[in-house]
Amino acid sequence: MLSFLTPARRGSGLGMAMPALLLLLAFFVIPVAGLLSRSVTEPVAGLQNYETLLGSATYLRIFFNTFLVSGLVTLITALIAFPVAWALAIMPSRVAAVVFAIILLSMWTNLLARTYAWMVLLQQTGLVNRILMATGIIDQPVQLTNNLVGVTIGMVYIMLPFMILPLYGVIKKIDPAILQAAALCGATKGQALRRVLLPLATPGIASGALMVFVMSLGYFVTPSLLGGTANMMVAELIVQQVQSLLNWGMGGAAAFILLVVTLALYALQLRLFEGRAR
Amino acid sequence: MQMKSLLAVAFVAMAASAANAQQMVFTSWGGTTQDAQTEFWAAPFTEKSGTAVLQDGPTDYGKIKAMVEAGAVAWDVVDTEFDWALQAGKAGLLEPLDFGVIDKAKLDPRFVSDYAVGSFYYSFVIGFNPANFSGEAQPQTMADLFDTAKFPGKRTFYKWSAPGVIEAALLADGVPANQLYPLDLDRAFKKLDTIKSSIIWWEGGAQSQQLLASGEAPIGLFWNGRLAALQADGMPVGISWQDNITAADALVVPKGARNKEAAMAFIAEATSAKAQADFATKTGYAPINLDSPSLMEADLRATLPDAQTANQINADMAYWAEHRDEIGNRWYAWQAE
Amino acid sequence: MLMNFDKLGAWRWILSGICALMALFLLLPILFIVALSFGNSRWLIFPPPGWTLKWYGELFADPRWLQAAFTSAKIAAIVMVLSVAIGLLASLALVRGRFRGRAVLRGFFLTPMVLPVVIIAVALYAAFLRLGLNGTLVGFVIAHLIVALPFAIITISGALETFDPSIEDAAILCGASPWEARFRVTLPAISHGLFSAAIFSFLISWDEVVLAIFMASPTLQTLPVKVWTTLRQDLTPVIAAASTLLVLLTVVLMIAAALIRKGKSR
Repeated sequence: MLSFLTPARRGSGLGMAMPALLLLLAFFVIPVAGLLSRSVTEPVAGLQNYETLLGSATYLRIFFNTFLVSGLVTLITALIAFPVAWALAIMPSRVAAVVFAIILLSMWTNLLARTYAWMVLLQQTGLVNRILMATGIIDQPVQLTNNLVGVTIGMVYIMLPFMILPLYGVIKKIDPAILQAAALCGATKGQALRRVLLPLATPGIASGALMVFVMSLGYFVTPSLLGGTANMMVAELIVQQVQSLLNWGMGGAAAFILLVVTLALYALQLRLFEGRAR
Repeated sequence: MQMKSLLAVAFVAMAASAANAQQMVFTSWGGTTQDAQTEFWAAPFTEKSGTAVLQDGPTDYGKIKAMVEAGAVAWDVVDTEFDWALQAGKAGLLEPLDFGVIDKAKLDPRFVSDYAVGSFYYSFVIGFNPANFSGEAQPQTMADLFDTAKFPGKRTFYKWSAPGVIEAALLADGVPANQLYPLDLDRAFKKLDTIKSSIIWWEGGAQSQQLLASGEAPIGLFWNGRLAALQADGMPVGISWQDNITAADALVVPKGARNKEAAMAFIAEATSAKAQADFATKTGYAPINLDSPSLMEADLRATLPDAQTANQINADMAYWAEHRDEIGNRWYAWQAE
Repeated sequence: MLMNFDKLGAWRWILSGICALMALFLLLPILFIVALSFGNSRWLIFPPPGWTLKWYGELFADPRWLQAAFTSAKIAAIVMVLSVAIGLLASLALVRGRFRGRAVLRGFFLTPMVLPVVIIAVALYAAFLRLGLNGTLVGFVIAHLIVALPFAIITISGALETFDPSIEDAAILCGASPWEARFRVTLPAISHGLFSAAIFSFLISWDEVVLAIFMASPTLQTLPVKVWTTLRQDLTPVIAAASTLLVLLTVVLMIAAALIRKGKSR
């Protein structure tokens, strides 16, 4: 188990994964497999649920939208989170404490309340539009809700802490001497950022991005309230099928497709990532 | 020895069933609506019968289906949408109601079926902010609601697939009220297409009020009770009852409910004249007991759909129950297009 | 250079500016909610026509708010502890273990995040009906643990990956037992990861509404369910009042923590 002292035995460490494994097997895999299997038995046995979903341009667009929005949210969150986490790691600790307090504060406030607040703030008659008009940036209200803008703002807002915190942990532990060495070797700030800091922060970005992207895929509340129906995501489709129409076959099929595509993307990312590491 | 333990088991079982008879579970949508149901339906029922009513919620159809499938039904009476109730009754998810206990004769026949009776009913009416349409003519008809040239601005409609908006679109397109059913979905969606980019959907009653009050959507199709509440709060609201479309909530008993008898007795109490009148007075929804209006104050009665039967259209619940899935799938796919 | 704030030059202002903008972005809806809680407009009109405390009165008049908040906090606290403990073990296995299929296992641990929660909710609810766990605290905790665990595993294994295990070996060479080394060397080194995992786990449970709707019973209601039904039915500023009180509580706790830390460092 230990890297140098004990020779690595095959199978070692698996025991520590057991609590999580058993928990998920009993209360996730078995129940969910039962529900997903209904996708080929309801309303009648066969693959017609999958045919309906994959054969219709509308449903395909919903899947496409889901990955598009999730990708966009992940990208924007990362672009904001990296400089913030970096600044937090090196700022005077008193200032950093205040910024941390604000991040925690935003997370504490009820998710639904925050989303509703954004909905009211971003309306055409809302505060954001009025401020923008009063300051002369725009002449007439711009549409900020019921479209991609609204859902992106709302989701980035919720996802930011999930990217900042892991990234902060990683950057904080980077040895300043490494960057000093880079400077001694004549690297400019830009080069040091690209060649040293960013690569060293990559594990943090990767775990944050993974969390944000995957979490966004299954998200329901925010897209439903801020995104409007034209940007419908898979989770909304599934909620309609499962809770309103009681069509668990169709809902299960949509969930299964989402799961397969996501795991395929994960496998692809793993292959690319490991391929590069070698 | 064995006899003794058997007796003990029997005793415990009896005690348990006696305890069960003392309480039942009522499930509704939460908020002030359920508070009013607790106050005017459950409290008098407990007083008369001695059966405590536990409040649960929000109503979730997925939960009902899972309970019935597992044969472990925790809810005794549930407030649902009426068209869902009719469909679920046919699908075997509900107990037939006991009309020996519930007095059918006094209930509005529009909202009575084998598996469900009305909980309360309401009309979809045109609501608008008079400030936005001051100089010009004010919107009156469904055609006006769909006319963005004459009445510019966002419109707000109920987001979920339910009776109301499809009917409104067809009426706006010139379908006579008596020829609405069977619904011409192609025609309805074509009409809805003409204003699609101007639609903001409301997910719950409270959101519809916020949209109108803030001016975000100066016009839309609302539940009448929500507009009455805005007016009572001092907001200027215009209402047009032209072609108002009625729909209802239902009280149902899930199949296999543990306290069926108490459930029937609760529904009887909840649909009694006094309980319905008190609930309507508090919430602005209309009573489904025919004797209730006479128990209510005159000025309040004037705000109810009852007073607007002249140009009223009853959404065909039986038709909706029959085609709920088909319409729902098209509705949500159209929204996502 | 890049890790020294004072030597960043002009970049310092760029970083500070981004931080300030983000703080503003995060604060905007919270300040809005606080303002609404004192406004007398029932329909969230801003700025409100007048100011009032009546939403706080309504909040305290309804004991269900406090009950729900207490239930939520209790469930979230239990979920947090279990999630971090189980997540730590699983992360050690994923990062340090030497067994086949680690990547597969890692992917598997993520699946509860991918599926929309409503799928898990319906499936778990049906299973719990048969096990008699629905409406119980245990059922609630299990449900939230399933969705919180992936977050704990991702954050903790992320932190473990940047930790050099040879430091642990050094501790063992100096005479520490393997578990002692883990507790006294590894855990402090990944404390940021554990802290993030704890916060995420707590908040996932604290804010979760879909599973909560399914797991709720008349005697077990959490805050998000109460907020959800109230928002849909009433949209009353009472929700803003409740949120404001939570913000206040958080601020007080943070200031207290800061003071304690200051006292200690003296």
